[in-house]
Amino acid sequence: MVSDLIAAARPRSKHAHLAGQVALMAETAALYRLDDAQAAQLADGLMTGDAGTSDALGRLGLTAHDIAPPPADLTRPVRALALNVAQTCNLACVYCYASGGTFGGPDTRMPWDVAQKAIDALIDDTPPGGSIKIAFMGGEPTAARALIRDSVLHARRRAASRAISVGFSITTNATLLTEQDAAFMAEHGFAVTVSLDGAAAANDRLRPTRGGSGSFDRAARGLQYLTAHHDRLSLSARVTATPDNLDLGSTMDALGALGFTSVGVSPMITSPTGKGTLDGEDYATLLAAMIGCGTAWMQATLDRKPHPFANLATALVELHRGQPRSHSCGAARDYLAVDASGDYAACHRFAKNPAGYMGSLGDGIDHAARKDWLADRAVERQVPCQTCWARRLCGGGCHHEVLNAGRPACDYVRGWLHFAMTAYARLMDERPDWFDGVA
Amino acid sequence: MAKPPEPLNRAAILGPPYPQPVLGNPVSSLMESGVGNCYPGLEFDIRQLDVRFFPGLTFEFLGLEPAGPDGTQGVRLVNAEAESDPLFDDPAPWLKALKRQLNGPEGGALGDGDWYLHAVAQHGSRIELYDFNVFQNAVQMTPYEGETCWWIIRGVEADVDLTVELTQRAPSGQPLGNPVVLHGRRRHFLDDTGMIPDVYRAGELTASMCSPWTHDFRDCACQYWASNHPDVVLGEVVGPQAEDGNAAEDAAQPVTFLDWMRRRGPAQDIAAASTQERARPERYDPYEINLRWQELDFVLHGTETDGTPEMPPLTALHAAYPSLQDVITALTDDLAPLEFTLSMVYLYAFFSLRAPEDISEDERRDWPDLADDLRAARQLVLSVALSEMTHMRWVNQVLWTLDRAGLYPKGKYKPIVQPHSDASKTAAAESSDLEDRVLGLRPATPDAIADFIAVERPANRLDREYAGLVDHLRANADGYPAGLYELAVRIDSDGLQHYQKFRDVKLILSRYEHDTSIYLRDVKLADADDPAVADALGLLADIVDNTIKGYQAERADDMPRADACIQAARSAMRSFQVEAEALASGARKPGESVGVPFFAAWQGHGDGQ
Repeated sequence: MVSDLIAAARPRSKHAHLAGQVALMAETAALYRLDDAQAAQLADGLMTGDAGTSDALGRLGLTAHDIAPPPADLTRPVRALALNVAQTCNLACVYCYASGGTFGGPDTRMPWDVAQKAIDALIDDTPPGGSIKIAFMGGEPTAARALIRDSVLHARRRAASRAISVGFSITTNATLLTEQDAAFMAEHGFAVTVSLDGAAAANDRLRPTRGGSGSFDRAARGLQYLTAHHDRLSLSARVTATPDNLDLGSTMDALGALGFTSVGVSPMITSPTGKGTLDGEDYATLLAAMIGCGTAWMQATLDRKPHPFANLATALVELHRGQPRSHSCGAARDYLAVDASGDYAACHRFAKNPAGYMGSLGDGIDHAARKDWLADRAVERQVPCQTCWARRLCGGGCHHEVLNAGRPACDYVRGWLHFAMTAYARLMDERPDWFDGVA
Repeated sequence: MAKPPEPLNRAAILGPPYPQPVLGNPVSSLMESGVGNCYPGLEFDIRQLDVRFFPGLTFEFLGLEPAGPDGTQGVRLVNAEAESDPLFDDPAPWLKALKRQLNGPEGGALGDGDWYLHAVAQHGSRIELYDFNVFQNAVQMTPYEGETCWWIIRGVEADVDLTVELTQRAPSGQPLGNPVVLHGRRRHFLDDTGMIPDVYRAGELTASMCSPWTHDFRDCACQYWASNHPDVVLGEVVGPQAEDGNAAEDAAQPVTFLDWMRRRGPAQDIAAASTQERARPERYDPYEINLRWQELDFVLHGTETDGTPEMPPLTALHAAYPSLQDVITALTDDLAPLEFTLSMVYLYAFFSLRAPEDISEDERRDWPDLADDLRAARQLVLSVALSEMTHMRWVNQVLWTLDRAGLYPKGKYKPIVQPHSDASKTAAAESSDLEDRVLGLRPATPDAIADFIAVERPANRLDREYAGLVDHLRANADGYPAGLYELAVRIDSDGLQHYQKFRDVKLILSRYEHDTSIYLRDVKLADADDPAVADALGLLADIVDNTIKGYQAERADDMPRADACIQAARSAMRSFQVEAEALASGARKPGESVGVPFFAAWQGHGDGQ
């Protein structure tokens, strides 16, 4: 069944895609509902490639736009900054992109003056009344809790004087969290993302401590401190999907039971060691698991009940907005990371990686590098993406993964988006009010 | 027709988004935001208007120090007193009440220590200029920085009651003690006549701007925007034309208009171009203005301050004519004949220059620019000759205006269209006296052109004579008909370009100085009785005769007849030009270039003997 879906989602034309009775215009990300005859007409066109698709769309009164070259400058003002406050970690997850948090270097903590300068530069470049985001990343950022505390208070004070609102976020394994940490994060309205890979057994297999013992129990304790402030924190879990934890249904149940109202799943596509990465048939299994979670989410949503699975909700919001993407994320565009030595990188994953170097605190952000990098990385310029209908929804994939491992997961991505398109049509039919709050 | 597919998501319903956000005025733009164009704020810092937004108080808007908030950011009080604010002359009750407050305990309190604007209240809403943090039960107040406060102040309405509160601060920025509360209204940016009120001092509205003119938007399509910097200026002239002495003493300086925005360089100080298209490449680009603003001089009285030549005041050049009789004598015996003479002298020089169409193929190969150079030089010389004729007409107009007003000796009026008594038939080229040399008919040799430059030099005799006339009319304005003074000023100022034009001629022809035959005809002044020039002299007589008749008709206010005479004179001029050109080019006497003896008709008068 999943193999049928993967086959149905294979690219037939660069102009359009048909999922059930929903047609996607590839270049504009516009979605149309077709009746049976119209769908059959488009399906026939899709069987004969771009020219036939273009003709079929024309008969339906739709215009197939060709791929336009991206704008010369895709940069936006930088409004979000990740601080790699601790390039060290107490865990030793098998697949970690940061090689145990250190990015292949020695354990390092960010000095205060680096954090201060980075925050000041971000605030000073933002006009009064604007808003910024500061993300604390690692390694394990709570290993540098004093620095986080100082940074938050400093940013609040400096931004307040310019009436700039600051949002804080942190991605943590929660094992080092104290009650005071949780209170502090609640005080400042943090968005907290906890990395957990499933229930105890699965999590401990994938996320051992450096000493080799499991980390679940300690994470659960930290989580308790956080859930005590659930009304003032935005709390979500992030599950890294590896071949070892593809039973996502039970993961949802387990994490929902721990108090998470939002659980996101990310497939493990590349790791420095090669361990834990998905391969071949794993993607079909993952897709089936994701569709299972999505179906459960849909049923719960139609029943007006909560369900923690976040990926489908995110996909539906994106489909509804219909903003064609040039990149999969904001890296280098409006988001940069700063590492402990004060170098800017395209995002937190590119810390210490020359491929994503974007200047330094001393010399300032290298805007020319940002511009070139974004121009180079634009999906419009990615060769395999030119013929893919999903390019403007996917944006070409995570830069870090593509640069390291290519694009092994395209069938999975297309299958998932194909499913999301049909889900979108269904939710538009049955619960259009769900989209009311979408900005 | 079948129904179209149903659009589902926003991309399908709204169509593609604009690739770039459209930039333009924010919705909060006000009329007084600028001169009315689309990018407000270039001519002054509109935020400075609000340093006096509340009558009687003067504030400063302080931003963040590089090190971060230091407790002084926000709106700091500079001064509080009603006396120096002319608004309080208005008898409105709210102003009287506010004045009482400022002269009472509130004003007294504000006189001591540093005070900051704490809150503004209007329409029942109160905004404190602070951000609040509640941290562990302690209220932490961080003052907004100046720009943020300004946005809030800017939203305050005029003509509506307004309450302001001021407090002192602890070093951390926390407000201290009870606020001083004042009631009043916001000041209007413009008074009833549309002017910015006098309360703003000179320079106050530009005080916070970092460079004198910032970017301007010259390149906007309407070319309207460049309103706030000098356009053309007088300045230091540097170039190959410069005469002896340093540039500051160069007499071209006060007569050459330069583009203030010109790109500075060793030989770039050329006269301003007359069109945007031609001027544009010689100017700094907008972004360069910020980089090179130090080169853009201040301009005082139209002159760049670096290049102000030490010019004697014009009044010192020539004593005003003591009496009307002196004026009339100068005009009839000297100035009008002088203009006529110079006109003929320049025409003679004009015909001595080769015509561009006479250039042979060989010459064209050797001197590719020769035809263009000749065309330019002839055009320049001819334009000065014509300008002198215009001057002669104006001098005559002064005379007949005096006659009409009964100020001329009764029955003595006659138009002056004749050469100067010193005009010589042949060039006194060897004479040591410039005026002798210049009043003779000479081909346009380098020496002749040098003399033309010298005689047209600003502040030389001609200039001084007219200055004397202007001064006399100004000093005795009551006794003269309306318009006479203006006419004199016009003659006085119009000659400025002659000097520059002859300098340009000199520059253009300088490359042929080693062999003047390249550009000069070997013109020989004909005798008065030479039959070859009979036609030309006949036409010249026609011109003079019709001009005299025309001036007489104008004196009599008979405009139809005046028009007819001037038309006849013009027609004769055109024929004369053809004939004189034919003589000079050798078309009348093959192989010989014949020069017209312009002054032949005034034998005995102008033979210089």
